[in-house]
Order: sequence, then structure tokens, then C-alpha cells
Amino acid sequence: MAAGPYNYSYIFKYIIIGDMGVGKSCLLHQFTEKKFMADCPHTIGVEFGTRIIEVASQKIKLQIWDTAGQERFRAVTRSYYRGAAGALMVYDITRRSTYNHLSSWLTDARNLTNPNTVIFLIGNKCDLDAQRDVTYEEAKQFAEENGLMFLECSAKTGENVEDAFLDTAKKIYQNIQDGSLDLNAAESGVQHKPATPRNPINTDQPPNKEGCAC
Amino acid sequence: MANKDEKDNNAQTAANPLSRKLNKILETRLDNDKEMLEALKALSIFFTENNLRSRRNLRSDIEKRSLAINEEFLSAFQAVKEQLDSVYSDVQAMNECCQDMTNRLKAAKAKTHHLISQTTSLHNESQKLQLREQVANAFLEKFQLKPDEIKILRGTRDGGLHADFFKALAKVKQIHSDCKFLLRTNHQTAGLEIMESMALHQESAYERLYRWTQNQCRQVTQDTPDVSYLLCQAVEALQDRPVLLKYSLDEFGKARRSAVVRGFIDALTRGGPGGTPRPIELHSHDPLRYVGDMLAWLHQSSASEKEYLQSLVKNCSANVIQLEEILGNITEGVCTPFKVRVEQVLVSEQDPVILYKLDNLLKFYHHTITQIISSEAALLTTVAEIQDLSHRMFFNSLTSHANRLLDKVELPPPDLGATSSLTQTLQLLRDVLACHDASVVRIDDKKQDYKQILACVIDPLLQMCSVSASRLNAVDMAAYMVNSIHLMNTTLSLYEFTDARLEMLNAQTEAHLDTLVSEQASYILNRVGLAQMYGSIQQHRPEHGPLSSISGLDEIAIKSAMNKFDSYLAQPDSLTLPQCSLILSSTVRASAKKRSVELVCQAYKQIYNAIIDPKNNYRDGQNIVPRTPEQVVHLLM
Repeated sequence: MAAGPYNYSYIFKYIIIGDMGVGKSCLLHQFTEKKFMADCPHTIGVEFGTRIIEVASQKIKLQIWDTAGQERFRAVTRSYYRGAAGALMVYDITRRSTYNHLSSWLTDARNLTNPNTVIFLIGNKCDLDAQRDVTYEEAKQFAEENGLMFLECSAKTGENVEDAFLDTAKKIYQNIQDGSLDLNAAESGVQHKPATPRNPINTDQPPNKEGCAC
Repeated sequence: MANKDEKDNNAQTAANPLSRKLNKILETRLDNDKEMLEALKALSIFFTENNLRSRRNLRSDIEKRSLAINEEFLSAFQAVKEQLDSVYSDVQAMNECCQDMTNRLKAAKAKTHHLISQTTSLHNESQKLQLREQVANAFLEKFQLKPDEIKILRGTRDGGLHADFFKALAKVKQIHSDCKFLLRTNHQTAGLEIMESMALHQESAYERLYRWTQNQCRQVTQDTPDVSYLLCQAVEALQDRPVLLKYSLDEFGKARRSAVVRGFIDALTRGGPGGTPRPIELHSHDPLRYVGDMLAWLHQSSASEKEYLQSLVKNCSANVIQLEEILGNITEGVCTPFKVRVEQVLVSEQDPVILYKLDNLLKFYHHTITQIISSEAALLTTVAEIQDLSHRMFFNSLTSHANRLLDKVELPPPDLGATSSLTQTLQLLRDVLACHDASVVRIDDKKQDYKQILACVIDPLLQMCSVSASRLNAVDMAAYMVNSIHLMNTTLSLYEFTDARLEMLNAQTEAHLDTLVSEQASYILNRVGLAQMYGSIQQHRPEHGPLSSISGLDEIAIKSAMNKFDSYLAQPDSLTLPQCSLILSSTVRASAKKRSVELVCQAYKQIYNAIIDPKNNYRDGQNIVPRTPEQVVHLLM
């Protein structure tokens, strides 16, 4: 009955982190607009995008915070890790330095988010295989050692971009089903929302959620 | 032979009638005469005895038999006739019957003619009425509400809203507007009546819808409001009643406002589940993180609130809704708790570097949040106010630092280098300017800030240096000032927007350097004993007579001075003033040396020229001053 983009059962909050110029904003743009943004300006502080996806036939709204990679914004972007259900940690496969910095990003992510936050490692720019500076195997091993999910994608061609965002959501959803993620907590990064409009007859009753939402 | 006999017979019979007759009989072929055969057959039945008597009675017998047959015939036909007679009578009766029926039918037809015409007319009438009924139904369909629609509009006692409410409401609206067409026709009364009743329906429906919407809006106090489809529709429908819509949205704003405040306080004091993420207030000892976390939370929640609001009014035409205003109301509630906390941080913070970082952070977030909510919103004016406060606190802190410098002026150290307060202040300046490098605000702001910061720090520093140098002699003062200014210079030259300041500082250096150079030059000239001669030569006028006659400028005196000068030339550094060697900057030191040497060379050149001038009556000028000025320049430079 309720058509339109606002009918969803969950909101998941994501944060995208990684060095400057690894293509964080382009990944977000590719995911939300399905287009590649060629001359992407440097992000100032943080930007914001949303999209509704479907996982296990549940509609989920992703609220994605794209952070600036420049060092001078580090202090600002750190404040946005709070309550992220998913963190996409991006490096550039053609620039080894961006890969080498991953451990510092990972430390930030681990220190500033929930223990349940799903961290997904993304090797971006996999269309530039000729200029590759970090092998797939190496990054895969790094991911396994640190318990991260991992994919190489290309914001330019769109390859694997959907999968990275969707797999993260699936994992979060799985955590909810397992009960390892407490939905009632205000800052779990996941918010549940009944998809069906409330029964009109019950409208005078106070909403049940109120008591436990805080 | 037979044929011949017959011919003969024929010839005979032809002549004789009897024979003719006989012939005829003979010629008769009995085989072919069936009648005869039948007759003979019949005859053979009863003519059994061929005797005379029977031959005589044959005729009568035959007649008798004929009679009997005829009688038999007669009787047979008599029966047929009787049967035919009965058939006749039956047919006769039928005919009569039919005739009777025809007559009766005729009569009946005559009688029913009226009825039929009546029926036909009734039928026609009924068709007309049916048509009318259809028209009337169509009219009612179009201009009246069905009972269940009315029921839906009236709603249930508990105030619930049926899903078809909006269809019914749209219909009421449609009917109301269709009535205008009715008013143009000759059904004005009906039009007016319907219009009136629809208006009543409409009013009560809107009233109910308003109450429902308001009630719903009051309930969206969860962290994530549940904006149902029905509520979106309600808001869309209320567009026709802007006042009611406004009240409803105000109610929504109020509910969200309290939700945001609660969320903010929770994030500040409770944090996430099991304490992760930790409550923001846990970091209140780290002002930057504390304020930064609060601002980031406010930024994120403003963005979310804007989305919820947009989802609520997604079906409304943009110009009806004062989105910005509502969003401003929603975010207004957190202003006080936010302001109180940040003010507390600002007031208790002494370190100008931290204050400046906070100032920049506030500026950055003001800019960032402006992209989401209107800059007139209370939240942003609060951020702006706090930013203004932080700006003032920062400059206060800088100024008080500068005042402290002037209150307790340090004496210059023996090496004429920087005092510790100077190096400390310059370090502070470096820290402040460096955090601008790491900050996130616009270039214009940066330029303006730099100007103000430099004025706030450099001017008092210069003043402090002058005060601290006031008890020194001129040379010490010059060297000390050159050194102090040089330190400022090197600090500033690393940063943008300092050109004007650098220029000013360079000019001051030059002035002090001039003093130092002339002191150095006169010191050298004094030590080699040329100073007095140089003074006398400069004051000498041709009318005083030749120079050689003036006391102190005699050959011997000059020669002894030249000897000293020579030893200076052999070891030029031996006569360097200690103050000059205390100059920290090697370039300034070199320049001081070069310029003082230039002065010395100039003086020497004048002396040399005067002595070899024949008018001055030196006997052997060339011998007295063996070195040409060129040689001296060459040796010294």
C-alpha cells in the first residue's frame, strides 16, 4: 500500500573511511546514483547519502556518512564513527601508501565504534589493474587476519560496488537475527521501524516503542 | 401349304358375309383378348355343367350374377356413404365451432385493444422512468456520498482514520467543486443545497483529519519516527487548510524537538548499548573531542530530522510548507543543553591554542550545518553565538598573554639573544598559526584571523623588546632588537598572509642595522686613529689652507694611523664589535659587516684623495698612504 521510497523497516548507519583520494566519495556516488563522478572535489568534513536496499526481503535504508580523507579533517571525522553499524574502509590498489595506512584507520574504527560494527575492507580502483601496487592476496590476508570482510571494486566501472554495500548490510542484518546486535540501543547504528502503518484503530494508544527506545 | 389354303379361304370369305364373319371370328386371337379371357375364366367358375339347360339359363344366370354383384356393390357403398355423411357432419360441426371461435376472438380483440394501448403507454412510461432513475442515480453517484462513505468520513468513536478516508474526502471536494457547474444550470437550488451539505461534510472531515493528524504527530517521539503512509496522506490532504496543516506540523516539530533533546542527552550521558560508543560527556576533559562530538551529533541528527520531515511532506507542494522553519523549531531544543556545555568548556579553557581550535571547529560546523538547515535557525544562531564567544575568548587569552609579557619584562640576556618569554610567545604563535593550517575554515576567514592574531601578538612583542632593551646602550640595543625581530621574522615567514608584517619587521631591522653598522664603522676608524682625521678632513674647507698645516694631520700622525690601519687590514675581524658577532642571523651579520666595511672604505677613500691632492701640500702623498682605495676594498671585501 505504501509506495514510495520511505517504506523501510530498518535504518543502518555507515561510515566510509580511508586516505585522501582513494575514491570514497566516488564509491558513495556510484552506489547512490549509479554513476561515476569524474572530477570529484575533495570532501569537506563529512557528506551524507542515503539509499534503500533490500535484504532478506526487508527494506533497509542505508544512511551513509562519507568522511574527508585529508589529515586536517581527522579530528572532525572521528566524531562520526559514533554509532555506525557498518564501516567501509577504503584503500587504493594502485597506491601502496593508502594500503599501509589501513592499520591506523582500523585502530580508529575499532576504538570509536561498537564491537559489533561490521568493518568492510574495499580495495578501490580495481579497473586500473595495470598500475596495481597491492595484490589481492595480500589484502585478502590482511582482511582475514583482522576479521574484516573484503572485496576489490571499482567506483568507475561500478564493479562490486553494490556487493560491498549489500554484503555489509547482510552481515549487519545477520547480527540482528543472531541477537548479537541490540536494536533498542540508541546508538547501535541500526534503527528499527515497523514497515506497516499502524492499525488505525489503535492510534490512540501510546506507541509501544517509546518505553524501550531510550 | 397352309398359307395357300388361307389365301384361298380369304378370297372366298371376302366375297361371302358369312365367311367374312366367320373369318372375323376365326381371326380373333383369344390369347390376346384379356377381357375375353377374364370373362371366360369367370364363366368357368359357375358354368360347370355344359348342358342344354345350363346353356339356356346362361344368360339369366349371368344376369342374376350381375344383379347380385350390383346389390353387393350397393350395400358396400351404402356403408361408405353413411361414413362420409358422418364425416360431413363432423366437419360441419368443426366449422361451426371455428366460426364461433373466430367470432369470440374478434370480440376479445375488440375488447382488449384498449388494454394493449394502455399497456404500451405504461411501458413507455416505465422506460422513461427507468431512464430518469438512471439519471438520478448517476446524479446521486456524482453529487451525493454513499452511506458508507459518510460513515468513513465521520469515523469511529476512537478517532481512528479509515484507509479510504482520503478517497471519500477527495470525493466531497470533487462534488463541492462540481456544484459550480450545477449552479450554472437551472438546478441552482439543488446545487446550493448540495454545496452546503458538502461544505459541512468537508469541514467536519477536515476537523477530524486535523485532530487525527495532530494526534499522530504528537506521537512521533521515537528515535526514528514512524512516518506512516496514512500520515503522509493526511498531511497532503491538509494542504487545503494551511492553518490546520501548520498546527499539525508544529505538533510534529514539537514531538521531534523533544525526541532530539532526549537523544542528545542520551548520547551525552548514556552512550550506546553497554557503553559503546561511550557517552560524549566522558570526554569532557578533552575540549576538542567533547565539543567536536557534540557538533557531529547535532550535524547528523539535523540531517536525519530533515529527512524525516521531508518524508512526511513528500507529497506536498513545496511552497506550502515552511520546511526551514519547522526544522529550525525541531533543532531548537538542543540549543540550551549544547550551549551550556560549550560555554562551560570555553570559559574554563585558558590555552589560546585550544581556544583557537575550538573556534575553528565551531566555524567549520556552522558552515557544515548551514547546508542542512537555514542559517536563521536557532541552532545555527547558537553555534554562531558560541563561535563568537570562542573567538573573543581566544583573543582575550592572546591579549592577556601579551599583557603578561609587558607586565613583567625580562632583561635581555648577555648574549643579546631572545628572552625566554619571546621564544615562548613565538612558539605559542607558531602553535596557533599551525592549528589554522590543520583547520577547515575558508581562506577569507583565515586571512582576517591572521591579521588580528599578528596584531595581537607581534605588536606587544615588539613593545616588550623595546622596553626590555631600554636600559642598554645603543649598540647592544640595536643588536638585541635585530636578533629579536629576526626571530619573529623567521617564525612568520613560514605562514601565509604575513607579508605586510614581514615588511614592517624588515624595515625595523634595517633601522637597527643602520645604527649597528655606523657604530661598527666608527669603532674601526677610532681604533686605527683615522676617525679624528676623517672628521677634520670632512670639515676642512679650501680657504683654511692646505691640510698638512692643520694639527693632527701632519705626515707623522697620518703615517702612524696608516700603520695601525694596515694591521687592521691584515686582521679585519679583530676590530669587529662583540655585538655584531652576537647577531644570530648569519645573513644579517654578513650584511652588517659588509656595510660597515663599505663605510670604512668610503672614509679611507676620502682621506686618501685628500692626501694625494697636491693642494694639501703633502710632500710625498703616495708614500704616506701607500694603499689605494681599490686595494683596501679588495683586501676588506
